[in-house]
Amino acid sequence: MSANNEPNIVAFLCNWCSYAGADLAGTSRMQYPSNINVIRVMCTGRVNPLYVVNALQQGADGVLVSGCHPGDCHYMEGNYFARRRLGMLKDLLEYVGVDPRRFHMSWVSASEGHKWKEVVEKTVEDAREAGPFEGFRRRQIDW
Amino acid sequence: MDLDKLRETAAEVAARDDVKYLIGWEKGSYGYRVAPAFAEDADGTADMIFSPLCTANLATYLTLVEKLPLPRGQEPDNRKVALMVKGCDSRAVAQLLVEKGIHRDEVVVIGCPCPGMVDPALLSEKYPETEEIAELKWSDDGFIIVRNGEETAVPREELLAEKCRLCRYPNPVVSDIMLDEPVESWEPAEDEEVTEIEGKEVEGRWDYWQQEFSNCIRCYSCRNVCPLCYCQDCILDRINPSWVFRSVNFSENTAFNIARAFHLAGRCIECGECERVCPANIPLGKINRKLAREVRDKYGFEPGLDPESEPFQASYKPDDPEDFIL
Repeated sequence: MSANNEPNIVAFLCNWCSYAGADLAGTSRMQYPSNINVIRVMCTGRVNPLYVVNALQQGADGVLVSGCHPGDCHYMEGNYFARRRLGMLKDLLEYVGVDPRRFHMSWVSASEGHKWKEVVEKTVEDAREAGPFEGFRRRQIDW
Repeated sequence: MDLDKLRETAAEVAARDDVKYLIGWEKGSYGYRVAPAFAEDADGTADMIFSPLCTANLATYLTLVEKLPLPRGQEPDNRKVALMVKGCDSRAVAQLLVEKGIHRDEVVVIGCPCPGMVDPALLSEKYPETEEIAELKWSDDGFIIVRNGEETAVPREELLAEKCRLCRYPNPVVSDIMLDEPVESWEPAEDEEVTEIEGKEVEGRWDYWQQEFSNCIRCYSCRNVCPLCYCQDCILDRINPSWVFRSVNFSENTAFNIARAFHLAGRCIECGECERVCPANIPLGKINRKLAREVRDKYGFEPGLDPESEPFQASYKPDDPEDFIL
């Protein structure tokens, strides 16, 4: 979290739906918080759950994974796998005491620019409520 | 359990031409120690035992074998490995079969119906270890400790291991040979420890695990002993990409424990070995059991029961729960 208390969000977007959806939101000139750092992946099924853990270690206050609606995956079933894995990860993170507001998953299709805006607003709002996440930071050691 | 019958059967199996070696338990060097025993022929099985101290999960040794490249012209030894399993160990074998970690033709499974193991830490705390080798036996309603020639009867609840109180499958689910009649399975206890942590606030859970994980010395015993952690190239050993740094601090310890637990989500068969070997006494079972509970309640899946089933994380159902999705 930066000095002015703005949360830092890492978003993994699938190339075929959510990335295009975010693009649509941009080209439609929708206003939404700029705290999101987008990482484009080819499919949510490609998101290793440890990416989420790693992002939280390296300075993210919240993580968002977004992909195609179930049944719409470009690779037929990638988001079904992602749903299972990341659902388990969310339970696990919650169990070890990571605030559940720090990790979100959503389905945003290429035509849902407006939904993308809502998802980002909700994610940023949640991360802001949860506050800076210092406990889990990877310590920087200068040798 | 009739030890003579066990040794007779073990000797028979170990003497078979198509069996490379047999893995069982034997008495250790002192006190309550029990060691794994590897018998290449019938002679090696003479001292094998099955007692309430045989907590070790021998299915680990199926995947621990180092497979070195063979010299030119040498044929691989394709004989089978025989091993003795309790109920929980047999689930590890079943899960390994599901994941194609082993092939059904490569193992001979000798099933030992298990009336429940003792907790070794609890046992040596309440009944201190002796230099002489001590023995434990099952009685009708508990255990009998034989130390220095004296017999002490102990009620079952006093020493029963945590994992056995919660056990739902005391009888082997996969076996070629059964050593005894199946035992009557008992009503598993409620998993109150996990419920207690679930009931805490987020900060409380974080503080609790922060305290536990800060003890971790990253010896990776939990990984090494786990029958289902068998990747040749483990992410924890990798340098590039380095998923989890090697430094022992809270951030890396937490990331390591999350990674370890997550890699066992939907695979852990709750044999409790990780918790038993942990030198820092981190209650790893509480994480594993929580994930097992989620998998069971939310997805209706239980690992290690059906060798024909699909692995949990490599399969999906169109109607998996998605209430967490925005």
